[in-house]
Amino acid sequence: MRSEPVPPSRFGLGQSVRRVEDQRFLTGHGRFVDDFQFAGQVHAQVLRSPHAHAEIRGIDVTAATELSGVVAVLTGDELAADGIAVIPPGATAQNRDGSDMFVPPRPALAQGRVRHVGEPVAVVVAESIEIARDATELIEVDYETLPAVTDTGSAMDPGAPQLYEGAPRNQCLDWEKGDRAATEAAFAAAAHVSSLELVNSRVVVNPVEPRACIGLWDADGGSFTLYNSGQAAHNVARTLATAVFQLPMERLRVISPDVGGGFGTKNFIYPEQVLVLWAARRLGRPVRWTAQRTEGFLSDTQGRDHVMRAELALDGDGRFLALRIVTTANIGAYVSTFGAMIPTNPVAVVLGGTYDIPAVHYHVREVLTNTVPVDAYRGAGRPEAAYAIERLVDLAAAELGLDPVALRRRNFIRPKAMPYKTAMGSVLDCGEFARVLDRALGQADAAGFAARRAESERRGRLRGLGVASYFEATLGPPNERSAVRFEEDGTVTILVGTMSNGQGHETTYAQILHQRLGLPFEAIRFVQGDTGAIPSGFGHGGSRSMQIGGNALLLAADLIEEKAKRIAAHHFEAQEADIELASGACRVVGTDLAVDLMDLAKIARDPSRLPEGMAPGLDAAGDYAREATTFPNGAHIAEVEIEPETGVVHLRAYHVVDDFGTVLNPMITMGQVHGGVAQGIGQALMEHTVYEGETGQLLSGSFMDYCVPRADDMPTLEVAFEAVPTKTNALGVKGCGEAGCIGALPAVINAVVDALKPLGIRHIDMPATPERVWRAIRAATSGD
Amino acid sequence: MRNEIRFLLGHEMRSLRSVDPTMTVLDYLRQDERLVGTKEGCNEGDCGACTVVLARLVDGGLRYEAVNACIQFVGTLDGCQLLTVEHLVGEDGSLHPVQQAMVDCHGSQCGFCTPGFVMSLFALTRHSETVPDDGVIDDVFAGNLCRCTGYAPIVRAAGQAYELKPRQDHIAAREAETIAALGRLADTETVAVGDGERRFFAPATADALAELFEANPEATIVAGSTDVGLWVTKEMRRLDTVIYLGRIAELARIEEGADGIEIGAGINYTEAMATLARHYPDMGEVIRRLGSVQIRNAGTIGGNVANGSPIGDSPPLLIAAGAMLHLRRGDARRSMPIEDFFLDYGKQDRAPGEFVEKIVVPYPAGGTRFRAYKIAKRFDQDISAVLAAFQLWLDGDEIKEARVAFGGMAATPKRAPAVEARLAGSPWNEDTVQAAMAALEQDFTPITDWRASADYRLRVSQNLLMRCYVETTDATQDTRLVGDRSLAHV
Ligand SMILES: Cc1cc2nc3c(=O)[nH]c(=O)nc-3n(C[C@H](O)[C@H](O)[C@H](O)COP(=O)(O)OP(=O)(O)OC[C@H]3O[C@@H](n4cnc5c(N)ncnc54)[C@H](O)[C@@H]3O)c2cc1C
Ligand code: FES
Ligand code: FES
Repeated sequence: MRSEPVPPSRFGLGQSVRRVEDQRFLTGHGRFVDDFQFAGQVHAQVLRSPHAHAEIRGIDVTAATELSGVVAVLTGDELAADGIAVIPPGATAQNRDGSDMFVPPRPALAQGRVRHVGEPVAVVVAESIEIARDATELIEVDYETLPAVTDTGSAMDPGAPQLYEGAPRNQCLDWEKGDRAATEAAFAAAAHVSSLELVNSRVVVNPVEPRACIGLWDADGGSFTLYNSGQAAHNVARTLATAVFQLPMERLRVISPDVGGGFGTKNFIYPEQVLVLWAARRLGRPVRWTAQRTEGFLSDTQGRDHVMRAELALDGDGRFLALRIVTTANIGAYVSTFGAMIPTNPVAVVLGGTYDIPAVHYHVREVLTNTVPVDAYRGAGRPEAAYAIERLVDLAAAELGLDPVALRRRNFIRPKAMPYKTAMGSVLDCGEFARVLDRALGQADAAGFAARRAESERRGRLRGLGVASYFEATLGPPNERSAVRFEEDGTVTILVGTMSNGQGHETTYAQILHQRLGLPFEAIRFVQGDTGAIPSGFGHGGSRSMQIGGNALLLAADLIEEKAKRIAAHHFEAQEADIELASGACRVVGTDLAVDLMDLAKIARDPSRLPEGMAPGLDAAGDYAREATTFPNGAHIAEVEIEPETGVVHLRAYHVVDDFGTVLNPMITMGQVHGGVAQGIGQALMEHTVYEGETGQLLSGSFMDYCVPRADDMPTLEVAFEAVPTKTNALGVKGCGEAGCIGALPAVINAVVDALKPLGIRHIDMPATPERVWRAIRAATSGD
Repeated sequence: MRNEIRFLLGHEMRSLRSVDPTMTVLDYLRQDERLVGTKEGCNEGDCGACTVVLARLVDGGLRYEAVNACIQFVGTLDGCQLLTVEHLVGEDGSLHPVQQAMVDCHGSQCGFCTPGFVMSLFALTRHSETVPDDGVIDDVFAGNLCRCTGYAPIVRAAGQAYELKPRQDHIAAREAETIAALGRLADTETVAVGDGERRFFAPATADALAELFEANPEATIVAGSTDVGLWVTKEMRRLDTVIYLGRIAELARIEEGADGIEIGAGINYTEAMATLARHYPDMGEVIRRLGSVQIRNAGTIGGNVANGSPIGDSPPLLIAAGAMLHLRRGDARRSMPIEDFFLDYGKQDRAPGEFVEKIVVPYPAGGTRFRAYKIAKRFDQDISAVLAAFQLWLDGDEIKEARVAFGGMAATPKRAPAVEARLAGSPWNEDTVQAAMAALEQDFTPITDWRASADYRLRVSQNLLMRCYVETTDATQDTRLVGDRSLAHV
């Protein structure tokens, strides 16, 4: 950072500053979408398809419309008649042959056919939600059911039910990256090849706040306002305005107030957003919708769902020669906002991991199935990569009789090799993978593991230690603008285009500004998630906020410093070069002449007190564009104990050492790791998304049936930071939001497999539920 | 008859006359009172975002209970003080110690689950004077889901809260006033509110209940509402007449009588647990894992039995213990061995207008071994795939008699006659166990659903019998499912 040294402050960078937002969250004064009320509001209930795949022969809404209190019952016919366009994807990709991928049209209400259980078929708007619910039950839909396909691995089988004519064998994209020929040559010459079929299981994201939105229509101005529980206000506004409603973006304002967790799934454009706006315009009344949990299970985008064949080629010395991955990615019934993009580059960019692998090839086919659309979920593509690589390394070690840690050490990219260009073209500027892993091994007392295993054996239990060296690349849109506004009331507002939904940005951004300019921490306010207040923004995702938005704020601060010095020089009739900024004031070097930034902001408003030609105001906005991708990395170590009679896996200990570069607020960063690891553990051990094969019904459709981790499921978790700051951005940050989730999948499964290895078990798919583990043990011990 | 519901909202009196019988406390708070700090995350009792605390007058003092506002009906508030996250803030706006501790430990990220955790933690501080161990804290939070924090910071906040004197707060300062106010509300009138077809009754005596139910046999009885609440919020069933048991002191009792432990139909799990665990430690253990603190603070064994679900946790325990079920209709009473109550899937031996009065569990005789095991996908707050309960009367090495019951293995909770026959009269040794394990296949042909396969259910049930054997013969064996976790009684 270029700032003058400031005296260490309670609120500065590197301090575990208590969160500003907590005051309202702890007292019940957080304001989430469902907490807002509007005069004249009406309630929307969506009628959803009960079938995974069906032709709609007709919809009779007569009885529903006649129910007292019902204001409107709308179907796909009205939607089409009103010219409301389909919801487009936010990103697509090209097939290997250069042609465009297949993108099916996605209307907000089904037209003619439904393709997953939960797809919106009609919407009822009524004076109360109870009436709206009753009315949906009166709608008669004549369905002709069709065979459904939900399973990723068999979606491309000949004879599998077809979702779209334009997607033969249900494939909508065939994509590759890497040097296929070099990879094949390396495999042909390899001394050993380890090969694994694995499933990166489907996850229901389940933020605790259900999705919610409220649509408002201002007939006079001809403009919309959408309150949306979302992670990306501008993107939602842009797509809805320009693509769906065909309006200029200024005529659709999106406000995302407090958001109760997103993890990706609230980033996207959803039919319900279209429906509340459209209904609000038709009815001239505010229209509100909040998902019930069951609806969330049936309509929030889900995560992962990759079936992979992963192969690693090694030479006679155990050096990695090449990595090859062939994936089938299930993206659900429609292409969600980033659904088609996630299985492509976000996986490819980190393939190779922390290892020096000369040749890598990745081939993915995306399939459309009768399931809820899949889109980015914490880590988005990178957990899929890390899981495959780290499972493969353990498998290779087992097959070659090597110590998995030694095998990793042998193949790590060495610090001396930096900057290092991976086979996939990523350029790493720094990273000390062996140092990080060694620290984690020490922290986890790996040396004492053999004794602990022996002790478990005495009690008839199987114990395993799982190591993962994860490697991440931060992604998301590369640009951001952060602005600083000096208010008349003596406060300073930071306006950002990123979107906290639990990450404590109100606090960390203020820390940056406080540290950089010395402005009083308490005077700093924060605005995000309002397209009416912030001209541009790219929201949340890819662990990007501090890296992009934080650095943009530094640039804004640079501009403020420049202006402040100019104004101060004019004020004191001194040379600009003689002005220094320290502790929130501009002073003339060597004198006791000083003026506070807050006072300078007042002066700056008065053109008569400014140098010739200078525009009034101290406000400034910084535009940052990512110069280089950053690569958070680290080591996770999980230790498990398994009961052979029941297959129950107990996580006994969990250790993490992360290299996130500079850590701005250790407390908040730690929180991100804890949360990410919990989600990873959930996916690895218990979260099980089950679609019934033939009917396509989601069987695990409630919290009672779909196990997300509870307090008791979490092991003692120890986290340490081993910072290797990057020089590719001024803050030195690498990003921390997704890492926990990326490292946990392989660490936990490696531990489970390590425990089961003595029985001859080489792999177990996620989630490693008691029954699955028990089954694997039984098959291995009884031979059936 | 009293035609209004009366309760304290914080420290303000509320009396409601026209109340929908199935309006939930959560909807009441958010819609009628506009107290939106209490959140809806599932409306099914699973996530705890809606956790509120009820203070009840018990023996002249207050008992604080965390419950799920989303599945409790407003009428059940009668005579209570309802506290929400908004009420914890001091009059000067200062944070309550449990709130401050959550800030200090970074126990909140997105903030949505936070009010629920705060209320669970507040309730804990009223139950436990000193900071309990982590096992108990995990238990306290088993009914609260957080997707952001990974829980460790919240568990730490629980410890930190105790540093900040959480029991000396403004709510405690006004306790005498609250006790007096609730005392003035207590009466023995039957509460009857609602209008026309939709009515909510809360009788105060068992006789009044008997009379009401006989006269309104179509009514739905509500005890803890942890099943019935979901019929309304999840299955969208319309219940026109509701009769609530919660005000009937005679039913809300557990007593150690001459013939055994008498469990009143209205007593909730939390209150019943200690007495049951004293005689049958394994019952305590299963109850400790049943639902969550919030569910156990409301749910009843009576409701669990009356509901008759094949995966209810208490029926197998009660069957293995040889319990008797006592039913009443008007003035007519009858009783039966509890296993006879479960006729078929969804069908119980209960006449219209007839209700469960109590369940009597005989004391374990000398020489008996009682073991119960719950197999589920997750330790806490999960539905059982299999629940096994074994009681063996041993005479030296010989098994004189065995009672074996399973949940999750058939359409009803059910005894295992072939296993029992194979055990009775045999020596308690590994050969007998092996033979009994084989006999289990004659007793059950479990179904496969996605929760567990038939094969898993059967084999695990067999393994549990072996585990029972190992545990009862080798004291050093640590083979419990609950394993290394101490029994957490909160
Ligand atoms: C989140 C959650 C977790 C749960 N976990 C478990 C679990 O782990 N194990 C388990 O077994 N159950 C579990 N349950 C189910 C439920 O909590 C239990 O079945 C509970 O015991 C029901 O008791 P209740 O008092 O709440 O019954 P209610 O919901 O009040 O009533 C249940 C049924 O019994 C009838 N009834 C109640 N009392 C009487 C009476 N005295 N006479 C006649 N009929 C009566 C009612 O009319 C209704 O049909 C869970 C529920 C939830 C919401
Ligand atoms: S809202 Fe989830 S438990 Fe009540
Ligand atoms: S803080 Fe977000 S769910 Fe707990």
